[in-house]
Amino acid sequence: MPAPIWSATAPDVSLQIAPCTLEPSPRHHIRTVAYNGQVPGPLLRMRQGEEQTIEIHNGSDDREIVHWHGLFLPSDIDGAMEEGTPMVAPGASVRYSLIPDPPGFRWFHTHTFAGKDLNKGQYSGLHGFLMIEPRDNPGRYDREVFLALHDWGGHFEGGDDGYMNPVYDVSTINGKMLGFGEPVRVKQGARVLVHVLNSSPTEVHWIAFAGHGFQVIALDGNPVPQTQTVSMLRLAPAERVSAVVEMNAPGVWVLGEVRKHIQNSGMGIVIEYAGASGTPVWRQPENLIWNYHQFAFSAKPVLQEEDAARIDLTFDSKFQGHGNEELWRINGKTYPHTDEPILTAGRRYRLVMKNESMDDHPMHLHRHTFEVRQVDGGPEIAGLMKDVVLVPARTTAEVEFTASNPGRTLFHCHQQDHMDRGFMMVFRYA
Amino acid sequence: MHSHSRFNCIGVRNPWPFFPILFMLLSIRLAAAQGNYEIQVYGADTVPPKNLMVELHSNYTPIGQTKFIDGVYPTNHQEHETLELTEGINDWAEVGFYVFTSEQDGHGVQWVGDHIRPRVRAPDRWHLPVGLSLSTEVGYQRAVYSTDTWTWEIRPIIDKTSGRWYFAFNPALERTLHGPDVKQGLGFSPAMKVSFDFTPKISGGFEYYADYGRLGAIDSLHDQQQQIFAVTDLNVSPKWEINFGVGLGPTAATDHLIVKGILGRRFDWGKKSAVD
Repeated sequence: MPAPIWSATAPDVSLQIAPCTLEPSPRHHIRTVAYNGQVPGPLLRMRQGEEQTIEIHNGSDDREIVHWHGLFLPSDIDGAMEEGTPMVAPGASVRYSLIPDPPGFRWFHTHTFAGKDLNKGQYSGLHGFLMIEPRDNPGRYDREVFLALHDWGGHFEGGDDGYMNPVYDVSTINGKMLGFGEPVRVKQGARVLVHVLNSSPTEVHWIAFAGHGFQVIALDGNPVPQTQTVSMLRLAPAERVSAVVEMNAPGVWVLGEVRKHIQNSGMGIVIEYAGASGTPVWRQPENLIWNYHQFAFSAKPVLQEEDAARIDLTFDSKFQGHGNEELWRINGKTYPHTDEPILTAGRRYRLVMKNESMDDHPMHLHRHTFEVRQVDGGPEIAGLMKDVVLVPARTTAEVEFTASNPGRTLFHCHQQDHMDRGFMMVFRYA
Repeated sequence: MHSHSRFNCIGVRNPWPFFPILFMLLSIRLAAAQGNYEIQVYGADTVPPKNLMVELHSNYTPIGQTKFIDGVYPTNHQEHETLELTEGINDWAEVGFYVFTSEQDGHGVQWVGDHIRPRVRAPDRWHLPVGLSLSTEVGYQRAVYSTDTWTWEIRPIIDKTSGRWYFAFNPALERTLHGPDVKQGLGFSPAMKVSFDFTPKISGGFEYYADYGRLGAIDSLHDQQQQIFAVTDLNVSPKWEINFGVGLGPTAATDHLIVKGILGRRFDWGKKSAVD
């Protein structure tokens, strides 16, 4: 870690990690840990390339770490122990500077181990929005709305495949259950840029906005090659979607989870037009519709592809008994025993991820952005830049990235329970 | 269904305890006279709503009671086929229905009786460290298979999965509603199971069934029914339940050798789309 910057001046960003009680509804009180006493944490806005001083105080009882998800930071401040970032001891503070890059919708969150304690790690309220403004913002919208999807009150149950999976009692948007938070108030004719973050520790979520469509302009904060208007969004854990919504259907509507049982658990928020009143209206979709391909270019054979060094990664799990979570493996090994492939700076790599397990996995590469080249068994695509990609069960996905940020680089499944059970590996630079 | 689904309705279950109670209470326990129609230790999980579990229990007694006792057929070489239908009501309740049959040389295939069994469990949202459930069962059986024709049972169920191990305990209490033993009070018939996951699909272990006699007047060991089964569960699919076991009864009051099998299939009859 760089030498701490101790200064009498106030930091640009101050994060206070401390216990708090979340009230998703008057009937639900969840004891958790949060940034600055709120869930989600404060919305941080930074300007691309403009140095920021960050101060983190850990007022919790456990060692903590803050990961800046989607940023090109040095390993020692990226926020992962596996990369060498130091943890912050209980009662301690740390201060450092970072240069925000790349621009777009990022986020910050804890990166600690939770294990069987489904109140810790990403099961907690330690997550927040980070918007890195580009030097030039060409966006055509009237206002921005940030929405964080989260699940609470997890406990382990066996799944249909016989393995243990977390299930949740409460699901929220911005810490509130449907009907209990303040509505998002909009004006007719407005173009609202909605930034949706799935901060759930383990769950994929499907989001629709009754009476409206989403014009998706960015995935994981990166502009998509082809904007598309879709009826619903799918977000795997840690994924983000930025979409413009034309407010052209006056009324009081529900934006929420498409799957009934999860919306019934609270995942929804009311969108209220100025001057409108009445019971919020929900229109139940009958199907789940989403694919990455619609936002990408159809790929043509390119020389670059031949240049990319192929790294084969096979995902599977090792049975530990029906009363235990399985151990997750990459190429037959569980972290910390996984391989550490060595990257050469400037070289392009193609990760060929063969998921032989029965679960879908949101795979995240730290400190880099990758290009999705093949996913869901579909044809080759190009131009879709992300930092998380969902690799469905029993399929192979391929992504490419350029090794452009030397330092230890963590690659892992973003499901907290999978990370905790060894689904991680580190790339090293030569 | 979740991790315990493979044990659902496979737990320690002997809903046919009236035979041993009958003999205990009448003190004519000349030999084993246990009616083995459904031999199962219950797990705490219940069948999900809009799901129907269909199970066939097939039990054969190679070495059992060879004499008629109070007009009740001997169990030796009886083949019992029991159809069990269990419908999920909600995420914490189910109701089961049984059709008992028996086949034996000289008696042919006969209908034995029917039972109904509502069951509730502690909902997941209680976050209990163990599975907890309560089953009650009431039903009729013909007098040639049990002198007590109407019986009632209440069965608490506690289970726990820990790593590869599974434990279940069913301290059941039984009472006769119509028959010679109607004034005999509650009988105590505990059952338990311990099993180990050898692989994701194959588990093996032991099931123990007992009938200790009336509460407050426990029988001597000689007159108690004690039976231990070596069992295996095949977890080939969430939709299927397969259990097989061989049981030995070491006491004089127990059938000495029983072979049992359970084949179950879950049917999801609710119209379910991706958004449900």
